[in-house]
Amino acid sequence: MTITRKRLLIGAAALAASAALALSGCSGSSGSTKSASGSNSTVTLFNGSVGNFTENFNPWLTTGAELQPTQGVIYETLFYYNMARSQDPVPLLGTKYAWNSDGTQLTITVRTGAKWSDGSALTAGDVAWTLNHYESTASLNTLGQTWTTKQDGDDVVLTFPSTSFTLEPQILGNIAIVPEKIWSKIPDVLKTTNTKPVGSGAYELDTFTPQSYTLKKNPNYWGTGDDAPKIETVRFISLANADAATSALESGQVDWMGSYLPTLKDIVKKHPNVAYVNTADSTTSIVTCSNADLGCTGPQTDVAVRQAIYDAMDRTQLNAQALNGFGEPGSPTLLVPAVNKKWVADQANEMLPEGADAAKAKSTLEADGWTLNSKGFYEKGGTELDLTINVVSGWTDYDTVCTLLKGQLQKAGINLTVNQVAQNAWSNSETTGKFQLSLNSVNPGASASPYYIYNNYLNTAATAKVGSPSSTNTSRFSDPAVDAALKTLASTNPSDDAALLKEYGTIQDTVVKQLPIIPIYVNQALTEFNTSHATGWPSADNLYAFPEPWKAWDAGIVLKAIRPAK
Amino acid sequence: MRFYLQKIGFYVVALWAALTLNFLIPRLMPGNPVDILIAKMGAAGQPVTPGTRKALSIALGQGGGGNWLQQYGEYLVNLAHGNLGVSVVNFPENVTTVIAQALPWTIALIGLSTIISFLLGIGLGMFAGWRRGSWLDNLIPVTTMFQAVPYFWLALILVLVLTRVFPIFPYAGGYNVNSGLVPGFSLQFIGSAIYYGFLPALTIVLSSIGGWMLGMRNMMVATLSEDYIVTAEAKGLKPSRVRLTYAARNAVLPSLSGFAISLGFVVAGSIVTEQVFSYPGVGQLLWTAVSNDDYALMQGIFLVISLSVLAANLIVDLLYGLIDPRTRARA
Repeated sequence: MTITRKRLLIGAAALAASAALALSGCSGSSGSTKSASGSNSTVTLFNGSVGNFTENFNPWLTTGAELQPTQGVIYETLFYYNMARSQDPVPLLGTKYAWNSDGTQLTITVRTGAKWSDGSALTAGDVAWTLNHYESTASLNTLGQTWTTKQDGDDVVLTFPSTSFTLEPQILGNIAIVPEKIWSKIPDVLKTTNTKPVGSGAYELDTFTPQSYTLKKNPNYWGTGDDAPKIETVRFISLANADAATSALESGQVDWMGSYLPTLKDIVKKHPNVAYVNTADSTTSIVTCSNADLGCTGPQTDVAVRQAIYDAMDRTQLNAQALNGFGEPGSPTLLVPAVNKKWVADQANEMLPEGADAAKAKSTLEADGWTLNSKGFYEKGGTELDLTINVVSGWTDYDTVCTLLKGQLQKAGINLTVNQVAQNAWSNSETTGKFQLSLNSVNPGASASPYYIYNNYLNTAATAKVGSPSSTNTSRFSDPAVDAALKTLASTNPSDDAALLKEYGTIQDTVVKQLPIIPIYVNQALTEFNTSHATGWPSADNLYAFPEPWKAWDAGIVLKAIRPAK
Repeated sequence: MRFYLQKIGFYVVALWAALTLNFLIPRLMPGNPVDILIAKMGAAGQPVTPGTRKALSIALGQGGGGNWLQQYGEYLVNLAHGNLGVSVVNFPENVTTVIAQALPWTIALIGLSTIISFLLGIGLGMFAGWRRGSWLDNLIPVTTMFQAVPYFWLALILVLVLTRVFPIFPYAGGYNVNSGLVPGFSLQFIGSAIYYGFLPALTIVLSSIGGWMLGMRNMMVATLSEDYIVTAEAKGLKPSRVRLTYAARNAVLPSLSGFAISLGFVVAGSIVTEQVFSYPGVGQLLWTAVSNDDYALMQGIFLVISLSVLAANLIVDLLYGLIDPRTRARA
């Protein structure tokens, strides 16, 4: 009996103690928040990470398991390729490069005087070792290409078996250069988490906890003046959702983030220190399983149906309702006009139509032999024009587009069914070709050059029969003229603009007619800044880097450029 | 002895079934980790080329493959060695390391709030049953209403009111990361963690206290009508003694078994709580694992969850025999 009473008493005491702790916690923490805003040479960055950070600074990984500043902030490439505007590559660890005339040999001059963050010299030997290790390791070589690497004084010479102009941005701008003395001792470079990174970038790792980590200025950084980092500390945090991010931005706890915030315009009005920049990112498009020869089934294999969808959609309404008007008009050529206007060969193909043209869609279908049935939908040979579009449930802008499209296409006699699925199922059906329509985006490749978009999305070599996974060409598009043009482009010197434009023209003419991918609008990436701690962020007039904090390589450029606010 | 052996034997079979389901269920989901990684890389602006898929498959060790039966064998052998594999999302980090990071947060938050909710609930329930018709009885419909309201809704309302309208509590996170605190046993860190955990804990307590209270009150009412209570009162014992050691001790038995089971579910965490409050626990980890087809991580988390539920049940089963002799005796 007495034992029981004691137990209950202990329980009550525990309860009281926890309540007391909770209260003391309340009062204790107000002090610690104050100390946070003390130093003004710190910027806090939210790059979309959710949950705990796993300590991983492996520069060889590209899967996103490596913490984001690994690429560009702690480790650097030879050159920096800006995707936000057309510009020449910016020299980083390389100072210049040159191709031989037939594109089989690339000579890179390595920067002299650069150092690793531990103070040792960075040499052409490190560059040669890195490039060679990448090329010779099957699990690293995402290019699937071979070459031989030779060091020649401060130069590194790569010799390719065939013309390889198109590998340039991937090799120069997407492989992190690492110190040979450390990495040559590791048998499988992918199997390490590299928790004490020694890099050449503007910042080095300072402290790490699973909820937040900080970088500090690298005292051995090669850059001087404008190229030197000016902010002392960079902190990375994780937040669960856009709601938390909004609060953090408004309260000044985050200085740099890249979330889509529907109410952004109001936030900027309320908070004079908050600024944003809206950058063209990728083209939101309907990917169609277009090629019956490779096993696609459904009405969308008929080009007239794809043309009708293209004409029947009201892009102004889609942009206004799905993106709050933050989207920009795209181009039927799949290029982003803001970045690649000069590569659209035919002016007529530059911009997508904005409003809906149901009448044109209907006449296209009727000319192809479709007739309206009693339900108001077209049919041909007894089969109704029913299409199913896959979309990831929870991607609200995509879901809105699909809901609106259903109504818009109905006016043109097309019956669209929206199939909301989990991301796994969505990506799986697109890769294996078991879909009719799929809402996705057309992403740029290794550089801003249109070649990479066309090669990834339209090359026969990048597709596969329905049932087997295609690597990047999920619409199963295959066209000999396009393949030939891509082949010519790959062996054309990248500085020969007229020759490139001619081939792009061939591809664009085919794509605009065939529409294996039906573009909707250019999805914009919103990046938000708080200017009370640092200034000099990228702006619409000066996109010196792609401003999103989640973008590989670009964060290093931005962090070098910003300076403490006065 | 036979009683205990039977119990343990049953739990061994249950454990095997749980392990097998752990293995099977993730593999029945559509998609595979390489596709998801490629999709994410493309969206993050990483160049994706035809060679990418091949290199990734080799890197993630899916080059050879092997059939399910082979994988099942390897899975069991690895488990026996305590090796839960390598997480794809956090490649090349071990699943055990990743789970070990998240587990303390969930155990602390959900564990403490479950205990607080239980103690408060049975305490209030005891008094409500003791003084039927008092104002405490009116509290019961209120608490059951909190339980009936969808949890996420209640949590969102509290977030809105207590972090936005009246900014008393922080809206997200496990502790104040901006202050440069390092997790550990420092007073400052624990204070910050409690401050940050208070609001999520409050929502859990509010939404679960009704059940404990109602159950305890009703058992209390039933127990109070027993003859031995009348006897105790007739003997002239102090009311507090009758209440606590005569009535409450017997009335709490059913709640106690419910409590032990709910302790088992603590590890599963509350996915919704952790999502709403950006809490760095197991629930959020599970969410990440599932949305990335990270089989190894999913299996690891499910394993920890099923083990803790089984262990809690086993302990209750065994302890119940001690607490309540009637369950042990063979009539």
